[in-house]
Amino acid sequence: MHEFLDAALHRPNLVAFVVLLLWGLYITVTHHNLVKKLIGLYLVQTSVIFFLVTTGAKQGATVPVILEGAAEFTADAYVNPLPQVLTLTAIVVQIATLGVSLGLVSRIYRRFGSLDEDLILDKLE
Amino acid sequence: MIEQLPALVFAVPLTTAICMPVAGHVRKSVCRPLALAAASAMAVLSVASLWAVVSHGSVRYSFSGWAPPIGIEWLADPVAAVMAAGVSVLGVLCLLYGGAVGDRTHDRHPVPYYTMVLLLLAGLSGAVYAGDLFNIFVFLEVVSLSAYALVAVQGGRALVSAFRYLLMGTLGTAFYLLGVGYFYAATGALNIADLAQQVPGLLGSKAVMAGLIFMLVGLAIKMALMPLHGWLPDAYGDGPTAAVPLLAGLVTKVALLIWVRILFWVMAAGESQGTAGIFMLVSSLGMLASVAGACIALRQRNLKRMFAYGGISHIGLVMIGIGQANQTGLTGAVYYLLNDAVMQCALFALAGLAVHRYGVRTLDDAGRAAIRSPWVMGTFVVAALGMVGLPPTGGFFGKLRILLAALEAGNPLAAGAVIVTTLVTLGYFARLLERLVRGGSGEPEPERAKMPWTLRAAMAALAAAMLALGIWNDPILEALTTATGGLAI
Repeated sequence: MHEFLDAALHRPNLVAFVVLLLWGLYITVTHHNLVKKLIGLYLVQTSVIFFLVTTGAKQGATVPVILEGAAEFTADAYVNPLPQVLTLTAIVVQIATLGVSLGLVSRIYRRFGSLDEDLILDKLE
Repeated sequence: MIEQLPALVFAVPLTTAICMPVAGHVRKSVCRPLALAAASAMAVLSVASLWAVVSHGSVRYSFSGWAPPIGIEWLADPVAAVMAAGVSVLGVLCLLYGGAVGDRTHDRHPVPYYTMVLLLLAGLSGAVYAGDLFNIFVFLEVVSLSAYALVAVQGGRALVSAFRYLLMGTLGTAFYLLGVGYFYAATGALNIADLAQQVPGLLGSKAVMAGLIFMLVGLAIKMALMPLHGWLPDAYGDGPTAAVPLLAGLVTKVALLIWVRILFWVMAAGESQGTAGIFMLVSSLGMLASVAGACIALRQRNLKRMFAYGGISHIGLVMIGIGQANQTGLTGAVYYLLNDAVMQCALFALAGLAVHRYGVRTLDDAGRAAIRSPWVMGTFVVAALGMVGLPPTGGFFGKLRILLAALEAGNPLAAGAVIVTTLVTLGYFARLLERLVRGGSGEPEPERAKMPWTLRAAMAALAAAMLALGIWNDPILEALTTATGGLAI
């Protein structure tokens, strides 16, 4: 237990990631309002993106652009650009999902006149 | 030219989908021929690509000439090529069917319908060909977004079903991406070929195992594996008739194919130690899904929901085949996957026809209707034979392989699950067939408008595909065995 806590406290980013992920899942599952469910979903996606960024972070490193006439090349001085590219793509995907889901929610609101899951399910019966 | 084929298979439907709103704005009647032309071109290209792969060997395509690991690589091996050919041919058949079945949604909103179908086809072919895990994620999301939209076009109940599908599906892709992140953190690679060199040595690592489990959970939602199947019956039951055959036939199967890729191509499966637990898990989940799915299907009165649970139980059968971790199981599972795509497509096409032409929604309706059309009944009998697993359809040979794999692996429980599933499936199809054959007997069939030739052609082609996969099972299975022979199982 002590080791586990110690390991967790040395990686605050991962703790933040786990908290965000679980919080998002909790909101998605427990709330009855469709928009709040989407907020939970958004938190889950954001936590995953946060995790990707965390894996690519490097202390004291700079942008991966090697300028002309720079001193000799050392890999330690530059961050790995790939996780950041993945993150950008994942954010674009997340925005697309959000757009589709908000469109869907607005159609549901116009059709059923409510965003409450229970009321909508009642109307469906 | 030959090495460009996979990229062209993807590019044709994508560019057409982008042009579709413009074309539809100028003239609505141009949408259908344009979509059919694009899907047919895609089918021709993918069949040519399959032929090239079979005769000249696998093609590795690097975009813009950047070699992996820096560039993006597509891999057209026999498994991907045959799946892409299946996707595009089924796409053409579904477009033929969707435009003629008399679905209100299709007639009212042709532009979004055709745009979404083409985007779906492009995403599916991309997910099949993609050679690295991150691109698979992107294409999975393209597929899913068009699938949500296609379900929602129906309006009414389908809106809520689509929203549930979206919630579950997005959680699924988020988990899959998390798994990819774990793999990347552990190995620094995303390309399947690069990962295959590193991952087998890292199976003791908690990060790799956690990544694998996250990917399994994410893909299990996408393929509707039993405890995570909740979205599927609603989405397919309420979705528009013109789109559901396409979704039912392809979306879940491609997610399953990706899981097969990760398990056998990345993990290099059996040879490395430490994968036994994963295979046990896959096999047990498969047994649960196949038996429970079939039993729930037996209880359903609504035809579409019955077929949906039937499809869920067949996903379980494929998982049993994969879970045996031997050559017979792997080839049997991939072959059964192909058959299942055609069978699900045919069943939902039939269910849609039954609703729109005969007003048949439930088992009781089926007992009253007089369906005399040989096109409908003939295809239904072939699809039922395939689902139950009787020769000469491909369903029989695939199921036989999976059963043999279970016996080969010394797993009588899995073999028993396959047999129980077969018997229960026989139960619900026999009941439905009995009602259909007896239904409305004695009274002549009421006058109906003649079935358009496109519908008849689509039905005949689906039935022919199920039979052809069965009759030529030997060369197909042999080709699949050669294709997967290089894997360490």
